Order: sequence, then structure tokens, then C-alpha cells
Amino acid sequence: MSHPAPRTIVCAGGGGVGKTTTSAAIALALARRGHRTLVVTVDPARRLASAMGVEVGENVMEARVEGGIEDKLFALMPEPRRSTRTFIDLLFEDEPEAKARMLENRVYLLLADAAAGMHEVVSLMLVAKAIEERRFDYLVVDTAPSRQGLDFVSYPGRLATLYEGRAVTWLGNLSGRPDTSDDGEVRDESGGLLAAGRKRIESLFGKLLNPRTLRDLAGLFAELAIVKDRFARLARVSEQLLVGPTTRYLLVAAPTGSAAADAQFLSRRLKRLGQHPTALVLNRADPSFPAWVDELPSEGMPAELTAALEVVRGDFATRVRAGDHLALSLKSDLPRTPAVRLPTLEARDPSRIVRTLADLLGPHLGLLAGA
Amino acid sequence: MTDGSHAAAPFPPLASIVLVTGKGGVGKTTIAAGLAAAAAKRDGKAVLVEFGDGDSGKRVLAGARSSGVMHEVVEPKTALETSVGRLLGSRMLAKVFIGNFAVRRMLRAAPALRELAMLDAVGHIADKAKGRRVVVDMPATGHGLAWLRLPLQMRDLFGSGGLYELSERLVHRLVAPRACSVVVVTLAERMVLQETLELCSALEKEVGMPPARLVVNRFPQPIPPGAIEQARALQTEAGSQLVELLEAREAARSEALITLGGASSLGVQLRPLLLPQAGFDPNAVQVADWLVSQEAA
Repeated sequence: MSHPAPRTIVCAGGGGVGKTTTSAAIALALARRGHRTLVVTVDPARRLASAMGVEVGENVMEARVEGGIEDKLFALMPEPRRSTRTFIDLLFEDEPEAKARMLENRVYLLLADAAAGMHEVVSLMLVAKAIEERRFDYLVVDTAPSRQGLDFVSYPGRLATLYEGRAVTWLGNLSGRPDTSDDGEVRDESGGLLAAGRKRIESLFGKLLNPRTLRDLAGLFAELAIVKDRFARLARVSEQLLVGPTTRYLLVAAPTGSAAADAQFLSRRLKRLGQHPTALVLNRADPSFPAWVDELPSEGMPAELTAALEVVRGDFATRVRAGDHLALSLKSDLPRTPAVRLPTLEARDPSRIVRTLADLLGPHLGLLAGA
Repeated sequence: MTDGSHAAAPFPPLASIVLVTGKGGVGKTTIAAGLAAAAAKRDGKAVLVEFGDGDSGKRVLAGARSSGVMHEVVEPKTALETSVGRLLGSRMLAKVFIGNFAVRRMLRAAPALRELAMLDAVGHIADKAKGRRVVVDMPATGHGLAWLRLPLQMRDLFGSGGLYELSERLVHRLVAPRACSVVVVTLAERMVLQETLELCSALEKEVGMPPARLVVNRFPQPIPPGAIEQARALQTEAGSQLVELLEAREAARSEALITLGGASSLGVQLRPLLLPQAGFDPNAVQVADWLVSQEAA
């Protein structure tokens, strides 16, 4: 890499907690401080993309959320439906014939379509490419909205082991293709001979798949073997971005039914990855009624407005209660993780929400981003 | 658009297997538990199937322990060993196959086979339940659709062999409206709704399973007409904050209704069930009672 690697902030959390908006707001707050920041979201919301003045796609675009931060804020929001194709475009750039065969391999099209994590890996590969091309101070990664969101932290490494070892070549040689490995025999990590094992596995494959499909499957891995060095390199760059020593992990939660349980699950998951959550960001966890509610006249208002105000007060009361509940239960689950508690933001224009959230997060950048 | 209080046309009955899908965070697990609780109340027993660790199901069923809902957790590794074991004729051989250094890596990189095995597990749970309702809490939107496509794709791809037979069996057992109903859960937010309607349309076009129910969770209560104008007339700073909040709220509500109203242009012929917003997410028993009151259970 010709530039210093950016510092990475990974935002994780269950669905519906405002993770994508939070990621955008942290990136904006960093950009306001003059840091060149790239925000990547693997679950693109078109409305947020357009609010940030970018398009969902495979290119890094400069975001336009407000004036005064020119050349500081960038976004990458790859389209999930294109990742099967993008994967091939990225890997087989210099191998047009293999690329053409890949695009016709029915097993690839099925497996890639059904592969959980494919889109995350492709997104990370696009990031790896982007940061080779230009310098960024910060990278903010918005993960998939689920408990599995963090799995992709380990995904590049898992895929890299498929490509770095002999598995790809071994699979590419299934169904009677001549063995091209140097000594004609393949050893597993423990050193055992697997040449005899192959016959046995092949016969088991034969029970599961018909010969043509097995040939397609072997063919797929034979093509992948051609680009395995390129793949392993991109996978390792992505892995370093995600698990580097300066990476920070933010757990985002909100008062949804499962938020506290999700945050606890994700923090256990992080521990297994040898990491720990840097901070909790609690969205829609209003610490109190906003001051303006008490400034409204308490009597003498028309009946409709009084009724509307009842609804609004009821909403706020619920939010404060839910926010207290969330903050308390996370404090007992994760007592050592500092929390930033944020109010519910409502506005018709999503870019306004991002700007307001960035105002609120700005004072906490030291904690959230080490900035 | 109806508000759900008077039934325009009755909902078709649900099949014995009910798959509940939708974007993350919309309350899928709660609705799934409610559907199971309603069936358990009627039939004495029902099954709630969850993939993964079983935490979410335990949480939403906590208030409904004596409801007769059995909680089954399908764990990927066990499901894969069981399924492949059936195909190879022995669980031992399955372990040898799955444990092979290259196969293991392939399965980690492309978990299609594991996902097929988890659907297979659902089929077997349904066989054991003998016609009692089995409600499956499916993974989030895109992934849920990909799962349902899998048996069809694998059947067409493989042509013959053990995996072909398994896919073929699953197509009949699960990807068939007579055997299995899909319930889609969503929220009243425009982007989420739009995505949901696309999902409904894809379910019909790509897997031949139009959803049997569309539940819009946490639907905001209306505010009285005229209130926004009255708030504007206050002409104070607090008043304009209130105007903005009420406007955002009404905009979200009417956008949701408009989006739902336009559903038929996407070929989605489905009366949405609007579950009103309450202080906290309801528990399984409360959702069950609501579903029964809407004649949608």
C-alpha cells in the first residue's frame, strides 16, 4: 500500500437501530474536523444515498451533505445484486478467457447467489482497491443489519485460507482431472496423505451430484485457482483493514425488542474475534423530554392540538422509558463499555437527520473514533 | 385501504407451515411467535422454529411459557450432518465428507448446502408435528428470498443425484403454497415498505409463493386533523418544533399508506394488516390475540 492505512471504525448492531445513519453521521463529524473519510455501507438505503448526494454503485463518490467539507467526505455503497458480477470483474480483470468461463459456470452463479457474505466480501474488496488508489484518514464501515453482521470481519480471512492452501487446487482436480500439484500427492495441514482420501471423497460427491455438475464444480475451482494469489492478497488487505490494531468497534442499539440481546451477542462475537467494543451508541434513547415540549402552553389550546400534544407526550414518555430500559440493561451486560445516548430525531429530510446526528456525535469523537 | 377494523375480504387460511420473513428489526420474531401462540391456543400445540442460537425465540416466548408453543432451534452444523447423513446413508460418512479439508473450506465459503440442510430440517420438524402449525422465523429479507429460491435452483441445476432428490423434495414440501404460507413483516417507513413490496412481488414471481399476509408493524397512530395548523398558529419556537415533529409524523404515515395503496401496481394483491404502535413491542400472546381479532391467525 502506498498510503498509510486509514483508521477503521466498524459499526455493528441488529436490524432497525439506525446503523447506516449513524455511520454516515460519524463520517460527517470526522470530515468536519478535516479528516478525509470514506463511509462504506453494505446494506445501501437509496434514500440515504440520495440524501448524501451519492449513488448506489461500485465507485467511491464524494458525498454532498453540506458545504465547507469539500474533498473530505466520500461514500461507497455497492449494490448487493451486482456482487456476483463485481466479484468476477475484480478478480479476473487480467484473465478474459477464464472470466468468460466463470460467467457461464452454473455452479458459480448458484453458489455466489446463495453465498452469505459474498456481498460483504465484494464490498471490502472494493474498499481495498479504493484505499490503494487514494489516501483516507478514516474508514467507517456499516455492517449488515443482523447478528451475523460481524461474521464478515472473519470472512476475508476464511476465504483467504481457501485460496492460500491447497483446497482450491484440490477441488479443481476433482472427478479425474490430472493432479497438477508438484508432488502428485496432497497433504492436509496435519501432514496426512490425501490422495487416497480423494477417491473416497469423490465417490461421496458422486452420490450427491451427477457427473456434469461435479465437473462444473471442479471447473469453478480450477478457474478460481488461476486468480488465487490476487484473491488472497485482496482478502488479506481487507482483513487488515478490519482487524488492525487501531480498529474501533461501535455497537449501535435502539429500543427495539431485540436490541439489548443483539448488542450482547455481538459483543460476545467480538470477544471471539479477539476484539472488544469501543463504545455503545444508543439511538432513539431519549434521555428526557426535549425542553421545547415544556415550553408549550399547558392550557387554552384548541382540542385537536391538545389531543395531538397528548400523542406526542405519550411518544416521548415511551421513548424516555424505553431509553432508560435500554441504557440500564446494556450497562449491566457491558459495564465497562461507555455509552453515548442519543435522542430520537425526526425530520422529513434524511440529510438533515445525518447533520443533526453529526452535531450530537461531534463532542464524542475522541471516544468513538480516537480523533 | 382499510384500517383493518372491518374485513373487506376474508384472509385465506394459513398452511400448516408458515414462514415469517422481512427486514431485520421489524419485529419478525414477535409476529412469528404470535402466529405460533394463536395456533397453539386453537390446536393445543404449535412449533416455533428458529435458526441459530435460539435467543430471540426464548425472549419473545418468555411471557407465553404455558401457551403450548414448542421452541425448536435449528443449528446449522447438526442440520448439515443430519441431511448429508440421510443422503449418504450414514452419519459417519457425512462426517468424513464434511470434515474433508477442502470440502470444509468450500462449505464455509459457499454455505448453500448448509442452507438447504436447514430447510430440510424444517421439513422434518413439520413431518413430526403431524399437521400442527409450524412457524419458521426466517432470516432477514434478501437472504430469506435466496433461501426459498435455493431448492428450485438446485433442482434445476443438478438434474440428478442425491442433492437433486433433496431439492425436489423440498420444492414440494416447502416451496409450494398449498404446503406452506409466507408471512411478510414490515414497518411503515417508506424505504422499508418499498423494499418489502419488491420482496412480495419477487416471492410470487421467482418462487411462486405470493405472501399470505403482510403485517405492517408499529403503525403510527393518526393525529387529529387541523392540529398542525393550530400548532403553526402558536408562532413560538416550541410551536415550530412541534409543527416539524407532527409534519414528519404525518408525512411518514401518509407515505406509508400511499406506498401500500400502490402495491397493486407491483402485482401485490394483499390487504395489509396494520399493527398499531404501542409503548413497548407486544409479546407473543398479545400479538396472537390481535391476529385472532383481525381474523388473520
